[in-house]
Amino acid sequence: MLKLVGVETYYGKIKALHGVSLKVEEGQLVTILGANGAGKSTILKTISGLVEPENGTIHFNNIRIDRKDPEKIVSMGISHVPEWRRIFPDLTVYDNLFMGGFLIKEKELLSERMEEAYAHFPILKKRKDQLAGTLSGGEQQMLAISRALMIKPRLLLLDEPSMGLSPLLVQDIFATIKELHKSGVTILLVEQNVNHALKIADYGYVLTTGKIFLSGTYDELINEEKVREQYLGEGKYIRREKLWGG
Amino acid sequence: MTDILSGFGQEIISGIALGSIYALIALGFTMIFKATEVVNFAQGDLMMVGAYVNFFFVSTFLSNSGEPSAWTFMVALLCSIIFSVLFGLFLDFIINRPLKDAPIFSVIMATLSLAIIMRALVAMIAGPISLMPISPFGDNSITIGIIVISVLDLSIIASAIILVIIFYFIFHYTKWGIAMQATSEDPVAAQLMGIPIKKIYALVWIFSALVATLSGVLLAPRIALLDTSMGFLGLKAFPAAVLGGFGSIPGAIVGGVILGVIETISLGTLSFHFEWIKEINDIIAWFVLIAVLMVKPNGLFGIEKVKKV
Repeated sequence: MLKLVGVETYYGKIKALHGVSLKVEEGQLVTILGANGAGKSTILKTISGLVEPENGTIHFNNIRIDRKDPEKIVSMGISHVPEWRRIFPDLTVYDNLFMGGFLIKEKELLSERMEEAYAHFPILKKRKDQLAGTLSGGEQQMLAISRALMIKPRLLLLDEPSMGLSPLLVQDIFATIKELHKSGVTILLVEQNVNHALKIADYGYVLTTGKIFLSGTYDELINEEKVREQYLGEGKYIRREKLWGG
Repeated sequence: MTDILSGFGQEIISGIALGSIYALIALGFTMIFKATEVVNFAQGDLMMVGAYVNFFFVSTFLSNSGEPSAWTFMVALLCSIIFSVLFGLFLDFIINRPLKDAPIFSVIMATLSLAIIMRALVAMIAGPISLMPISPFGDNSITIGIIVISVLDLSIIASAIILVIIFYFIFHYTKWGIAMQATSEDPVAAQLMGIPIKKIYALVWIFSALVATLSGVLLAPRIALLDTSMGFLGLKAFPAAVLGGFGSIPGAIVGGVILGVIETISLGTLSFHFEWIKEINDIIAWFVLIAVLMVKPNGLFGIEKVKKV
């Protein structure tokens, strides 16, 4: 469904991705793991067209998308929930969802999707006329995900959905992601919360300094010594600064 | 005593009228600033160009049909609006798009140059003499109680109120209006919603050129003589915006009105009693600017920006 081959992305003169290749199949939940600054978010930004890759190709359902505008890519069915949620704080919850459905032309379909979002997260319905900036962190994350689901994406890109949330809310968010996956949404999930992410994922890629250095299923990765050492806090020496992304 | 009261009343009304125009100019560049972070120093000159274009259409139609009628003004206004839409689109192409990622200083230089170029071009095309615009509302006045109000001032206030209501409606209740707000809040997130932000930026410039033109059309008959220095009046939108809180749209409107009232009162009653105020009337706006920056830098409606890391 989604295929990256040798993608190289620069921020100015700094090379952020050193030839990343990865694949997401229809219906899969794939996760990209790695420390802060490894380039995880950059991969998602490159897919959704926010930054253009210098080299390499990205195909979505066999259509090349790596030179297209973000709005074109969204219209092809790729929704991206960015890092830190980035809801529109001075718009109401309703208007945030409305913007999530910006590409929907039919009024009935829009209100139908709106009802689906409210059914999924009833708290959003309760708060629909409130400014989104007044919501709690967990509610904002629900809003960000609902907003991205308004167009019924074929592929959902999630960038650190657990960031800044309390452990209890992290559990909730991962349960939601698992549910979404079960309902048939293909998901590419970027996470620092390795344990949680690997548990729900079908396949994982481990990224260090802009390169994929390991990949495999949960069982394969969990038994890989390097992953245990660097990300799960086990092993002979624990490199805390890497673990916490410092 | 009644003299002073009626004088004050008249000055306040006429100040509100003048202030409405400052408010409209301030509204125009606050919109651009919020959406694209470009501080458009050419906003006043956009207004001047609008006034000239409207004058041109009115006089062309008058020379063809002879007698001025309501239709003449309506058609001229419509033509000016069409012109301003095209002009806004053009400005988006020559200022906003090429300078999107340029440092703020380059953008300031570009809008300042644009202001000077427009002033020179208009002077070349229209000639160096001042023109006398005609008001569609005539120069009648009505008396309410002890206050004499000019119909022109009333029409300016009414038009400004209607415009602000229309803009409010567009920004809060239409899809593209909300998308404009979303884009000015977070252009990256807006792109991820599928909002075509290049089109949004073009729309913002069009809106801003449109408000500028309309304020020019409203202001021209009030200043009696139309020349290119009208653009300088537009600079007063800056103290207006700072007074209201830079970047706040309600702030721009309230700030503009207050500034207009301060100006007319200082020119009228106050200068009658204190001769020296007359001398500083033209720059009183800038005193207000400095005072606001010293006492309350965020203005009346400004919110302290907390930058997220």
